[in-house]
Amino acid sequence: MKSFVKMIAAGAVAASVSLTALAGGHSKITVGYITKSATNAGWIMINNGASDAAKEVGAKLITVGPAFQGDLSSQLEVFENLTSQGVSAIAVAPVDSSGIAPAVKAAMDAGIPVVAVDTGVSGAEVTSFVATDNEAVAEIQGQEAAKLIQDGDKIIYVTGNQAQSTGQERRDGFMKGFKQSRPNSEILIVPTEWDSNQAQAGVEALINNHSDVKMIVNAWDGGTMGAKAALENLGYGAGDVKLVGFDGATDAIVAMDEGWVHVDTAQMLYKMGYEGVKAAVAAAKGETVSKRIDTGTFLVTPDTSAEYKKLIGM
Amino acid sequence: MDNKTFYDWFAQTLAGYFKKDWSGALLAVVILAIAIELVTDGRSFFHPSNLMTILNNSAALGVIAGGMTLVILTAGIDLSVGSVMGMTAALTGYVASYWGFPPVLAVLFGIGLGLSIGLIHGTLVARFGMPAFIVTLAGLSIWRGTGHLTTGAQATPKLDSLFDFFGRYNPLSPLREGYREATLPEFLMPLGQWVDANWLEYFRTFQMSLVIFIVFFIVLGLIVKHTKLGRYTYAIGSNEQGSRQAGINVRLYKTLAYVICSFTAAFGALMFLGRAPYAKSDYGQMWELDAIAAVVIGGTSLFGGRGSILGTFLGVILLKLINNGLTLAQLNTFWQMIVLGMIILLAVGIDIVRQNASPERIKQVLFAIGAATLLFAAMHPASSYFGSLIALHEHQSMQAILDAGGQLAPNQMTRLLDSDALIAVQAVVSSQALLAWGLLIATIAGFVMVGSPSRMRALVLGGVIVASAVGLMLQGLPGFPVLMLGLVTVLGSLMTDDLFQRAKAVH
Repeated sequence: MKSFVKMIAAGAVAASVSLTALAGGHSKITVGYITKSATNAGWIMINNGASDAAKEVGAKLITVGPAFQGDLSSQLEVFENLTSQGVSAIAVAPVDSSGIAPAVKAAMDAGIPVVAVDTGVSGAEVTSFVATDNEAVAEIQGQEAAKLIQDGDKIIYVTGNQAQSTGQERRDGFMKGFKQSRPNSEILIVPTEWDSNQAQAGVEALINNHSDVKMIVNAWDGGTMGAKAALENLGYGAGDVKLVGFDGATDAIVAMDEGWVHVDTAQMLYKMGYEGVKAAVAAAKGETVSKRIDTGTFLVTPDTSAEYKKLIGM
Repeated sequence: MDNKTFYDWFAQTLAGYFKKDWSGALLAVVILAIAIELVTDGRSFFHPSNLMTILNNSAALGVIAGGMTLVILTAGIDLSVGSVMGMTAALTGYVASYWGFPPVLAVLFGIGLGLSIGLIHGTLVARFGMPAFIVTLAGLSIWRGTGHLTTGAQATPKLDSLFDFFGRYNPLSPLREGYREATLPEFLMPLGQWVDANWLEYFRTFQMSLVIFIVFFIVLGLIVKHTKLGRYTYAIGSNEQGSRQAGINVRLYKTLAYVICSFTAAFGALMFLGRAPYAKSDYGQMWELDAIAAVVIGGTSLFGGRGSILGTFLGVILLKLINNGLTLAQLNTFWQMIVLGMIILLAVGIDIVRQNASPERIKQVLFAIGAATLLFAAMHPASSYFGSLIALHEHQSMQAILDAGGQLAPNQMTRLLDSDALIAVQAVVSSQALLAWGLLIATIAGFVMVGSPSRMRALVLGGVIVASAVGLMLQGLPGFPVLMLGLVTVLGSLMTDDLFQRAKAVH
């Protein structure tokens, strides 16, 4: 089944590359964009940024996703196909930082610039790395969350997948930022694999046994929405237990307007895809590109939410 | 004499209990629940509101596992339930949010979707003779894809409150509100006051999810036990050829099993929407595995023809109990995965032993449980000891590379410890070594003794457990209660032969 899907993916790449060659002439720049997911809300925003950037500079964008989220082997195969088809540049969101390294090295050696988006590559040089520093943003999340409660208050932290670097960095960053000013607060953990249902069931179980929990901090906004559903299921109202999010997803911002969410640290997801493809195009043209492009963060609070909504066109 | 009769009665009851298909699952639920109660602090695990929370969060998966039981009883399988659940949830929410369907119509649409998909699967399997595994594997992919495609994999806004009636709605809330607003009829006022006073403690988590869950299983249980559909399902599963020759319309009843299964997947989706924040097409991923696991843990044979609805109910509870309990116990995520697998092995192990019941096998299971409690007790000291040992070894290896003039990659760099961390790690290594090794060797010895249990060995294992418990207490580590549970189990093996004889003698 898997190899069948890969065949289709490879076929699609081959077809679109040859079509481009026929239609586009030789002057047009072609960027291969290898994304991590086409169904995750956050990734949809990154992908939109990527395609808008390509339209703006008049480059042809070939978007290829893995057969399923986290499938390294199909991503490697697609990467090699793009390299051998001779695209002008590649923007990639690696599903595995070190697993993708050999393919990246081969492309760079062949003179094709590679831009890593969202997740870095370890073990090979890239032209540029465009991302938000997860740990730094999570530290800000921790510091801001700490201001919402007293030292000694009990809180819940809903983790992401602890077997992935993103999940680990967000957790470590949060703990660092939070514990600085609230060293005596007990932190109960709800472990998840980025599944809002796990967040909901876990929060429901814990809140039931610890009615003195004052705040729930989440490693991503799917968890925020799961935690909100758990509170609603138990009959809590907005603001009874404070929610802190991560991602700045639209539904979490709506929940902020309703008084549920108090702080959300947004990664500039759209900007990440946009800057990533722009950097790839610039590199293909032979322009110099900064090695590390930080797409920054936006601290969303009830005070700044109007500004944030304008920024992401909500 | 009186004493002896009680003993006989006990042996007989025990033998009768283990004749049930669901006995393994129930035993595992009870053992696990007691273990969780012993290791959690704060409010009692057996508190009604916690038990109701477990039921609420089991409900959607439970209903789906109920449908799955029917399919597995016919010796079939349905791998598509997770995808059907996800697609139904997404499309129902989608038509309600974006196409202006009234909520009731959206619900009917979702149920219709489930029935039609079941009909397709059932027809392909029963009429065209395609393997159920293949048909539903294709379904797993097709329905997930359809769900993503039609809704663009986007979440809907919050759904209409009608969906709450499948999930979070509390049937007692009108009583409470009526009391608070003083609109209740006079004779109901005391009841309303009582509900209101105990709201947070007891009634808050009494929700439609668990009500529907329990009613559904009672109805399904009655159908399977007392109707033609139920009897024929068992018959087809144990001997399809024979059933056909006996004049059973095999095609019809097999198709029905798949229709019911997809219907429960759709209904499970509605129940899930009743508790979820929004509708989205990635709901229900891997639920097919959870549903099948629940059915098998509940003592239903994957080869069909043997099993029970009550077993599946207990299987679902066991799975969710593990999640809930391990979260309450705040156990490390990766340990949770290991413990989950071990408990599943335990439940199925009991089931296998139950089927070829011999006193020898039973004693082996009792020994295995005893050894497993030693392993649980070893977890804390062993993980901190070996964790520190490994950290120390990594540090030394990285230092060796540096000393040899080599370069370190960034993630190798992080393995180097600063002087404070080094001292802390060394302290753990020296203080925990004896206990960690002692418990691990005891655990291995315990599992080795499982091979041929004897009276002497039971006493030895019991002694080791007591010694370990004392060791843990001296170090101020948790695990004492779990070990006492193990002690009781191992000593129980001393009575096995006698109980067996008596149970036989009565028959």
